[in-house]
Amino acid sequence: MRGKAMSGGSIEIRDMVARRGSFLLRVDELHIEPHEIFAIVGETGAGKTVLLEAIAGAFPLEAGSILLDGKDIRCLPVQQRRLGIVYQDHALFPHMTVAENIGYGLRMARVPKAEAARRVEEMLDLFSIRHIADRYPGIISGGEGQRAALARALVMQPEILLLDEPFSALDPTTKKRMYETLRDVHGRFRCTVVFVTHDFNEACCLGHRAGIILDGALQAVCPADELFTREFCPQVMAFLGRG
Amino acid sequence: MSAAPKPKRHRGRKRNIFPALCMLVTGMVLLFIGSAIFAIVAGGISHFGEAISSEEVLFSLRMSVTTSSISTVICLLLSLPTAYALSHVAFPGKRLAEILMELTLSLPYILLGFALLLIFSSPLGKALKEAGFAVVFSPAGIVFAQMIVNLPFAIRMMRTAFAGVNPRIEFVAQTLGAMPWDVFRTIIVPMCRNQIISAFVLTWARGMGEFGATLMLVGVTRMKTETLPGSIYLSISTGNTETAMATAMIMLLVSAFTLAVANVLDRPTGASRVGRAGKGLGLRRMRKCGECEGKR
Repeated sequence: MRGKAMSGGSIEIRDMVARRGSFLLRVDELHIEPHEIFAIVGETGAGKTVLLEAIAGAFPLEAGSILLDGKDIRCLPVQQRRLGIVYQDHALFPHMTVAENIGYGLRMARVPKAEAARRVEEMLDLFSIRHIADRYPGIISGGEGQRAALARALVMQPEILLLDEPFSALDPTTKKRMYETLRDVHGRFRCTVVFVTHDFNEACCLGHRAGIILDGALQAVCPADELFTREFCPQVMAFLGRG
Repeated sequence: MSAAPKPKRHRGRKRNIFPALCMLVTGMVLLFIGSAIFAIVAGGISHFGEAISSEEVLFSLRMSVTTSSISTVICLLLSLPTAYALSHVAFPGKRLAEILMELTLSLPYILLGFALLLIFSSPLGKALKEAGFAVVFSPAGIVFAQMIVNLPFAIRMMRTAFAGVNPRIEFVAQTLGAMPWDVFRTIIVPMCRNQIISAFVLTWARGMGEFGATLMLVGVTRMKTETLPGSIYLSISTGNTETAMATAMIMLLVSAFTLAVANVLDRPTGASRVGRAGKGLGLRRMRKCGECEGKR
């Protein structure tokens, strides 16, 4: 499958305040370029997933704005945001087989059956999950589930791919294989990738840039390979183990 | 070298009083309800053949099955969208709707029947009767009474099922282009399929046994508005205890059947899918892995 010709996928966040229950997340300014791989790192409960879901528009913002390709997400229904999201628990539809999961978006878009079947097969081959095509999510492994969820998101050729701790539950070997898959997918689909992690090495290894979230606020943004060399405020330095 | 101290035996198992309490309650249920069921079966079995071939009992069985089937279908059609709205959508007056549903659940059924009787005896009810929709003292009233009694129950069951669906799954479906109706149709309903069928079966069973509201709204007229519980009531009123017990046996059989069906169906969807898929390669492979573990 070739990458799409369109060149979208920028994310711009301005003076954002997002609330989830009593938790508040503040991001004054963040600009993620098209085709960039952006890592969000931070402690557990710092607000990483809240930021990811805010970008996806899963809930209304308390204040500020998020622009996807210059368009305010409030003006864009979730179905038209051209983004894919993969959760840590994969959120696969348990009543559908892996192939049906991957083809769900195509079915919703009323893509002709033959064309949909062809695209699903391409994804099954791309992610090496043809052998589990007819299985239900309840009996596939974590790595297979991750690949199935990625395939389901990417079959729609999104401009933005949001990944919530995608590799945290995988063993080191599968993790390495998934890193390769993600790089391959990024090269092939040319989409912007935002992923949440609390593994600094993962952020350095995969990301172009990284944002550090601590105590409900985006504290710093830097090139991913400078996470361990650049000077930050004492709080961030302490979090990175350099304090 | 001194002997290692003897490890203290873990006493947690001994202190767990819950299995004992559970057995106690089960024993009480067996003693009271079981003995009542035994009394009905013992008293009614000799008249069961006679009752099942009696025109009156057959009429009441047909009336109960027909009215409860109709009321259950109506309840299902009304409760599916209502439960979805209450569990997934924020709208003005939602809290009021929730309170009203809870209130209806907690009201005595005879009171609900009385309220319905007042409504359908009013000028509005009379106008409806003149328009050809007679409710009071007619089989339509039985359907209405069953529906009013069972609707909040059905809504509650559906709502609990819908609320159990992971909201992330619904959001993912939306990011893949599904509109709210698509999410309902392709995600929520199939994921809650077992619970929906289970709710349908239990609502139907409750409809079969409904008596209080029906008695107030339509009364029990022999061979006209006579349901199975109504038939038992009439048999007891006329001193025909044996027929009442035989009719009660029919109701017991219906209850046992619905309970069995509901139990089979009320399983998490994920687990049942594991079972189904397990017939193929998946479960065999898992078993193989288990065997390997054993060998190691």
